This record gives sequence, structure tokens and C-alpha cells, in this order.
Amino acid sequence: MSTISVTHSNYVRLLGSSDPDEVYGALRTIKNNVIGSSTKKTLYIDLQIIPAVSALLTAHSTSVASRVQATAIVGSLARSRDSGAKAAAALASQGVVGALVGQLAENSDERLVEASERALNALLEHGETLSAAVAAATEGALVEQVLAIIDTADTETDLGIHSHARVELAVLIIGRLCVSEARQYMVANTGVIDALVRLLLAPKAHFRLQTATLRALAALSYENAEICAALGAVQGGSVAAAVLRLARATDATLRLHACEVAANLCRMRAVSSRDVQSVAVPALVRLVREADGVAAVQALGYLCHEDTDVQAVARSSGAIDALVARLKAAWSTEEGDFGDPVRGAREAKAAFLALGTVVSTNEECRRAAVDAGAFAHIVRALGHKDAGVRAAACLCARYIVRSVAICRTHAPESGILKPLLSLLHDSNSDVQATAAATLVNLLSDFSPLRVDALKQGLLPTLVQLLEAPAAPVRRNALWAVRNVLIKIDEDTRREVVEGVGIERLLSLSEPGADPAMHEHAVGALRNIVAESTWGIDRLFAARGVPRTLDLLAQLVSQSSAQSDRSVLVHSLYLVNNVAARSDARCCDIAGHQQLMKAVVSHTSSSVSEVAIAALWCINSIASHQREDDSRASLHAPALRRLGVARILSRLLRNQGLPLDVRDRVMSCQDYFPEIGRGSGEDDVEIDEEL
Amino acid sequence: MNYLIIEGYKDAAEKFSEESGLHTSVDLGSIEERMKIRYAVQTGDIKAAIERVNDLNPDLLDTDPRLYFHLQQQHLIELIRMGKAEEALEFAQEELAPHGEEHPELLRELEKTMALLAFDVSGSGSPLCDLLDFSHRQKTANELNAALLAAHSQPKEPKLPALLQLLAWTQEQLDEKAQYPRINNIVSAVLTDPSAPSSQPENTSA
Repeated sequence: MSTISVTHSNYVRLLGSSDPDEVYGALRTIKNNVIGSSTKKTLYIDLQIIPAVSALLTAHSTSVASRVQATAIVGSLARSRDSGAKAAAALASQGVVGALVGQLAENSDERLVEASERALNALLEHGETLSAAVAAATEGALVEQVLAIIDTADTETDLGIHSHARVELAVLIIGRLCVSEARQYMVANTGVIDALVRLLLAPKAHFRLQTATLRALAALSYENAEICAALGAVQGGSVAAAVLRLARATDATLRLHACEVAANLCRMRAVSSRDVQSVAVPALVRLVREADGVAAVQALGYLCHEDTDVQAVARSSGAIDALVARLKAAWSTEEGDFGDPVRGAREAKAAFLALGTVVSTNEECRRAAVDAGAFAHIVRALGHKDAGVRAAACLCARYIVRSVAICRTHAPESGILKPLLSLLHDSNSDVQATAAATLVNLLSDFSPLRVDALKQGLLPTLVQLLEAPAAPVRRNALWAVRNVLIKIDEDTRREVVEGVGIERLLSLSEPGADPAMHEHAVGALRNIVAESTWGIDRLFAARGVPRTLDLLAQLVSQSSAQSDRSVLVHSLYLVNNVAARSDARCCDIAGHQQLMKAVVSHTSSSVSEVAIAALWCINSIASHQREDDSRASLHAPALRRLGVARILSRLLRNQGLPLDVRDRVMSCQDYFPEIGRGSGEDDVEIDEEL
Repeated sequence: MNYLIIEGYKDAAEKFSEESGLHTSVDLGSIEERMKIRYAVQTGDIKAAIERVNDLNPDLLDTDPRLYFHLQQQHLIELIRMGKAEEALEFAQEELAPHGEEHPELLRELEKTMALLAFDVSGSGSPLCDLLDFSHRQKTANELNAALLAAHSQPKEPKLPALLQLLAWTQEQLDEKAQYPRINNIVSAVLTDPSAPSSQPENTSA
């Protein structure tokens, strides 16, 4: 042990002294050593400072002066960049949280209350600190004490600076507690919303207190529709108005947290989306341009998530250029002798994720991203040493190549394919999964990169990934296979089908198979048999006609519930594709009672896409003609016996039938001429006689 | 009052409050503590300054690594100034280098400070003499004072100098365009009659 370590270990040893002055002196020295220095924090943790300081805080005999010092040490240890989370968990497990909550009691020394609040804030920064056991014992008391401190705030007059600090810290603790939905409700049920609103709307609140209040409100309302609705309804929308006013404030931090609250309220539809679009989106874009850190970038991404209108406003406010500029800045941060690779990677990752979100549903945004040079940054990031950056860049690329036009034009010139293919072999499964997901779009029939990818050996890699341990990797690889099979030439179709294995696809299509793969396996089968007699023969040859028909019957017998809907639709089109192309297999299908009953039942589905798929099946089955001179529909009589004519009549009489479903019904009508002549019920009798 | 509090004139602030009847929410005791910290930095006693800061607000130096680095850097400068090269090297190795590793953006400043060891600090020919100048201590003290004020919800700078600068700039702009009741003497703050015979304006810069 070095001399320095010996000196420090002596201070830790003195914490067990019976002389209170010695203990106080050692605590003060340790506190001054650890504050600001991560190295010293780690050193003292190794020297067992945590048990020593926990013992002092949980002992009744420790003086207030020593408690203040020990509490400051706790806060500092929890703020360690490298070992803070571990230290916080160790401190919590030794009962420090309970001791700190006890120190917040009403009659405590004011310095001790302030120190305890600071330490609790630092500890609660690590979400896991309040584990279930600790939470049960202290959460209620903590919220009660903290609320009592907030209630001391007189919002009509200025607060003294120490009162101000105590209230600010108490508000921050409220925010830190809201790490889950259950915790949000627990905190909200104590009446904290009223207290926070009072602080937010106070005429003389200083910006630090307002900032803390907005942070707490942001944490309390995040992804919580009920709490957002409650906040949106306060005093006729005065909270929303105040939040939007603060989103225009001079102070950047205040603006940022106001925008976060506005984003929460907007996402949960608790305020007018238009108000938020006109105020918060430009404010966030400005912060992305001007402020350091990733918080504004993340808030902008969150606000734009799955909302085409907000994405459009973000684009017109300059969000895309600002995010691409942040990518450039992130690379600069990483480079050079004095570069900071960790910070650079964090910033690049946040910028890619936000850019991906902004372009996720809006075609103009995608084009703007390409025009701003996003592809060059993506290609660079695909080779980044940080897996998070690689995955984020893949995600951004995935959303950009959702555009058919970009897939056709810019993507082939971007140089993205080669690095993307190499990421399928990445050591990180998240990267593999997002790379495969990006390929899904690039392998569609309209993408020139499909042929290049197959030439570069994509198929064996995808086949290998179908056995990957991570479910998202397997699913996305199969999804890519499914897309490769769309409108492909016969030679490649055979190569892909033999490579992947038809039996594997059949196994994955069976009800009860891996849910992550099920939909795409059925989708792949649907594509194999589309416009390919070879594909149909291959499908039925694998297990024989009866077993394959049974499988199809099982697939189309599923409900049209949301969770199964995609599989059901693919299954119906699979049946349709077989029936349309093969006379022999169509006869088999028409003769399979369970399969046909299921198909017919779906024609009346309230879900348009299911009804349309089923009507396509009816159309294809009915389209086969007799080989005699009548050229009448071969299977129409069998379909009549299943009540198809009656169903079609009823559907046509339904004035509320969606137009696309009606069109499909009318195309089926050609095979059932009696429908136009009379009412449906009469037709049924005729059908049944036949 | 705002100027007196922010600049740390506690006695003057108390007297002004008493005579003018203006009350402040600011704890005047905290001004004294802040001034002691400032004085410690200005006199080169950085260790004492850090201890006082940690007593007043233990979060400050943990959450502001740049400020912490500047205080440590100032301590290193003081050691070099006192000719304690060995102690300075040890301090840089033990304290500043690990901090620089965590915050690479600070390494350039550390490198510059370490270069002081290569020059004769008593002479004025050092290209890095600005680090040894009193103004560098003042700069560090100001940065710390601003951080303490911000951490206690106080404005970082007094309003008065900014207002005087604004007044000077505005009058300068107006001089070119119009005749107006000008303030020529900021001490008396009397508005002059624009129709009166013109005289050379006094220096109004703050």
C-alpha cells in the first residue's frame, strides 16, 4: 500500500474512534478529499468508507456536525462517474436512505436537512437505489417529509436562499422518485401535483426553482396519460400555458425542461398539438443548435415520435440540419489528442436516434435528411467502435430507407450496403438486429441493392442468423428473407427456398411456433407461392398435400384479433396465391371443409384487410372454370353450399361497407350472377338446393 | 443593493438596507462566506477556498468538473509560483491528471499549465506569464463566485455595470441621430436640456 493510501486509510480508521472530535475531523477531511475527485471516491470506497459512514449515519449517538459531514460524503460518493451506481446501491443496502429520510424531519437542523436533501438527490439519480425492500420502508415517509418542505415555500414573497435551496432540492427529489408508472401514481396520490403547480405558477419563483419544478413535472407526467390529463385540466389549462411560456424563457435549462413537459402533455394528447408544435418544437430545435449535452436532442426525438405533423414542423424549423450538425460536432468531439470519445459517442448516438425518429413517418423529412448529407454520417457510424452508435446509425438508416424513392436512388450511391452487410456478423446482437431490420427495406423488389446484396453472399448469412440466439436477430433475418422473395426471378427464388429450407418455414408457420418468427414465416411462404407454380409444388411436396392443407386450415382458422391479424392476412393470401395459380391445389382447397369454412367466415370480418383477403380467396377459387363448353365456375356450387352467395348479397346491401371491401365483393359477384337478381335469403335456398 | 450583494459588500449592503429601508431575501451571512472564499482564491490559498466551498455547497465541485479543475489548476500554479516543483509535479500526477483523463477537454489547459515548469517563473519573459498574473487568480475567483451565486439562485453578475454600459451605448447611438436629454454625468444623473448650448460630453462609459 502506498504512503498516500495509508494516510487515507487512517482517516477511515478514525471514523471508528470514540473521540467525537477525531471522528468529525476525519469526516471533514474525507469529504474534502472525495468532492470533485472520482479517483479519491474509488480509493475511499475500496478502503471501506461505505460501511463506516453508514454506521455513523444510522447510529443515534452521532453528532449533528458529524452527520452533516457524513451526509455530504454520501452525496459525493453517489455522484461518482464510474462507481456512483454501485456506491448508491451499497449505501442503500446499509440503511442510509432511511437515515437520510429521518434527518429530513421537521425539527432537524437546517444544515442537516439541506445536506440530506442533496445526498438523497444524488442517491436517487440511480434508479435502482430504492430497491423494493428499501422503497417499502422509506418511500411514504420520504414523500411526506419532502412535501412538508415544499409546503414551507411561501409563493407570495421571495424565499431566502437557503429556504429556496431546500425547496428546490425537495422538488428535485420528487422528480427522482418517479422512475416507474407505479411510482408516478404513488407520488401523485400524495397531492404533490397541487404543490408543484403552485410553485410553477408562483409569480416570484426563481428560475432554479422553476427548473426543478419542471423537471419534477416532466418525470411525473412521462408516458402517463392520466397524470398528463390532470395537469392539462388544471385551472383551465394554466399549467400548459405556463409551460409554453417557459419554453420561450431566456435560460436554456428552463426552456429544455419546459419543452420536456410540453412534449409529455402533447404525446398524451393532454394539450393542443398545434400549440406545442408552434412553441416547443422550434424551442427544442434551437436548443439542439445551441445547447451542449444530449437532453434537447432526446426531447426532440421523443416529441416527434410517430407523429407526422410534428415531424413536418420539426423539419421546417431546421431540426434535420441541426441534428446533422450535431453529428458533425460529435465526430469533432471524438477526434484529436484531446478528444473525448465517450462524449462523442453519446452525442452521435442521441443525434442518430433523434434523426431516425424525425424521419420515421414523414417522406419529406427523409428527403431532407438525405439532402443534408445524413448517409455519409451513417456510413461512417456503421464502422464506429461503439456498438450503441452502430445500432443507432442502423436505426436511422432503417427509417430513411422506408422511402421507396430513396431506396431506388440515393441508397445505392451511398455506400451503405457493404458496411451494413458486415454488421450482420457484429459481436453485438442489438447491432445485428438493427442491421437486419435496415436490410428488410433494402431487399424489397424496388431496391437496386437487392441483387448486389445477394451477390455479396447475403443469403448464407441470413440463413445463419435464423438460428441466432437473440430473438430480434432471428425475426429480422426472416423478415429480410421474406422481402427477398417478393417478385423475384425463378432461379433466385429456388436458391433462396433451398437455402432457407421449406421445412424450416413450415415448422415456423405452425401455430404455437416462435411468435417472433411466425408472421414472417407465413409471409415468406405467401411470397414463395406468389406467381410461381414451382413454389406451390415445392410447398405441397414438403409434407404432402393433406398435411399442408391441414396447416393452411389451422392458419386461417385464427381469430382476427390484433395480435394475430398479420398472420391471418398472410395466411389468407397464401391460400389465395395457391388457389389462383394451381388448378389441382385449388380443387384440394375447395374440397377441404375446415379450410373453406374458415375462409368464408372471414369474408364478413369487421376488419377490412381480413375481409378483403378472404374475398380475394373466394374470387380466386371461383375463377377456375369447368372444362366443358359452359365455362362456368368450377367451384361456385361448392361455395354456394357454404353460403357465399348469401354473404355476398348481405355485404352488398350493407350501406356502411367500406368501399375497398365493396369493390372486392362486386368482383366476386361475377361468379354468382343470381346475386343481382334477388334478395340474399332467396339465393340461399337456391344455393342449398344445388 | 443588487450590486452590493453580488459584489460581496456585506457591510455596505447592511447599511444601505438599513438607511434605504430596502429589504433583501438574501442571507447577508452568506455574502460574508462567499467573500471569504473569494479572498482565499485571490490570496492563493486554494485549499482553504475549496474547503469553504464544500462547507457551503458540497454539490458544487462534484457537479461542475470544469470549475473544480480550474481551482486545482490554480493550486498547481501557486505551487509552481512558490518554487515547489516536486510538490507541483506530485500534485499534478495525483489530482489533475486523473481529472484530465475523465474530462479530456481540460487536458489542453493542463498541458499549458505544466509547461510553466519549463520556464523561470520569477522572470517576465515566460510566454505563459498570464497564468502567473494576479488577473488569473481574479479570473478563477470570479468563476467561483458566479458559480456560487448561480447555485444559490442569485444572478451571476450585478445589473448596474450592464445598465451603465447599455446607457453609454444607447447615448452613443443617439448622438449620431438626434438631440435628446442626455445624461452627461452618471454620478449626478442629471438630464441635460437638448436646446442648451452644447458642451463636450463627459465620459459616460461604465
